[in-house]
Amino acid sequence: MALVGVRGVSKVFANGVQALANVSLDVEAGEFLSVLGPSGCGKSTLLRLIAGLIQPSSGTIDLAAGQAELGFVFQEPTLMPWATALANVALPLKLRGLARGERAARAAQVLANVGLKGFERTWPRELSGGMKMRVSIARALVTEPRLLLMDEPFAALDEITRHRLNADLLELWQRSKVTVVFVTHSVFESVFLSQRIAVMAARPGRVLSELSIATPYPRDASFRTSAEYAAYCRQASARLVEAMAA
Amino acid sequence: MSARIIGPVVLGVVMLGLWEAAVRAAGIPPYILPGPILVAETLVADWSTLAPSLLVTIEITIEALLAAVVVGGLLAVLFSLSRWIELSLFPYAIILQVTPIVAIAPLIIVWANDVELSLLICAWLVAFFPILSNTILGLRSVDPNLLSLFELYGAGRWRTLIDLRLPSALPYFLGGLRISGGLALIGAVVAEFVAGTGGAASGLAYRILESGYQLKIPRMFAALALISATGIVIFLLLTLLSHLLLRHWHESALAPEG
Repeated sequence: MALVGVRGVSKVFANGVQALANVSLDVEAGEFLSVLGPSGCGKSTLLRLIAGLIQPSSGTIDLAAGQAELGFVFQEPTLMPWATALANVALPLKLRGLARGERAARAAQVLANVGLKGFERTWPRELSGGMKMRVSIARALVTEPRLLLMDEPFAALDEITRHRLNADLLELWQRSKVTVVFVTHSVFESVFLSQRIAVMAARPGRVLSELSIATPYPRDASFRTSAEYAAYCRQASARLVEAMAA
Repeated sequence: MSARIIGPVVLGVVMLGLWEAAVRAAGIPPYILPGPILVAETLVADWSTLAPSLLVTIEITIEALLAAVVVGGLLAVLFSLSRWIELSLFPYAIILQVTPIVAIAPLIIVWANDVELSLLICAWLVAFFPILSNTILGLRSVDPNLLSLFELYGAGRWRTLIDLRLPSALPYFLGGLRISGGLALIGAVVAEFVAGTGGAASGLAYRILESGYQLKIPRMFAALALISATGIVIFLLLTLLSHLLLRHWHESALAPEG
């Protein structure tokens, strides 16, 4: 059974802009799905609709996982500058009313899982862009969500950092078996990461086609230079070109 | 020692020296312009008269500033919680702010019927607006994504206020506090002038008035120097407070690179 069922969803904003038109999309439990599209195609809107942060104008969104089982990673790290890395990661637990000791222990554990052991007492401004994003991912994972929604999380990072975070994200995903919906405008990123790519077109935003990436995991750096990867990137690029022309 | 300290100190000493030299060379009588040495001597000699007045002025300034923090801060939080309250009350806060304090001080002194209370009200009126408007700005300048995050995790209005809006507003509040610190002193002194013209009160402004009437110009300068020194100390203390609270995270409190 699908973890998320988006059925015929349209979204018209108060200013009259139609962000999404009749979007249908299923997300299977445990899968890694990328949503690929040009900027302004409503990718982020789709993610916020799934998260329940905004409501659809028409259509329905079925969430087998409740809102309590969601994690959200924004385009920017979106950390609280006045709180340490540990306190930032522990925030969702604090808002859920967990005791101080337990939330510190769990937050420290998740920080270690994203490779930031020893950075518990560090302030956000002392962290690099990549490390801030790791803290942000740790915060999304600390509640052990069934569904992780990521909105172009690595778009602002340099390529070297992005590749490392891509690899680490895949490892986290395989270890935790969380379902991921990953919004991106990078063909290469979507091919490297996902099992399935939903390609979106803009004005109005809609899902134009889907593409499966059959390459088994674990995928390491050698996958990036393989002929298979190149072939998938060509396919995905062609779909994206179609979407831009549509 | 850095240029930040040496520069102003050297300039200050040179200016005081020039002042003293000019007064002596031109033979200006002390009742027109006393030299800095005479002012310093007067400060020491008249300390028993000036010190109680200094205490009165400092007391009113601090009380007014505290009242401004409490009322300005609470009003800002109230405004951020209810658009209706804000729209209804904010115009009146502006009216209070733009009305010259010297113009309404006599009325306040008559109505309050208690010198110290009326001074306090005047100083508070001048001081509370920067705290109010800055804190409102700060409470609104919250990262919208962080707001979404709080919503996603089911945080109520109260939690969001305590854990998100108030910390976000802190740098703005402290900026307003530094302005209000100086304004509270100015408000206290202006109100004392108005009250002092009527013969009441005993703050530093009253000493200045009194010295003027008695042509004790060096004492007038000594009182003036005390007011300036008080203002500088208030500013330094509030800057220190701001630095201590923000040093870990806010750009304004970070040491410049290199």
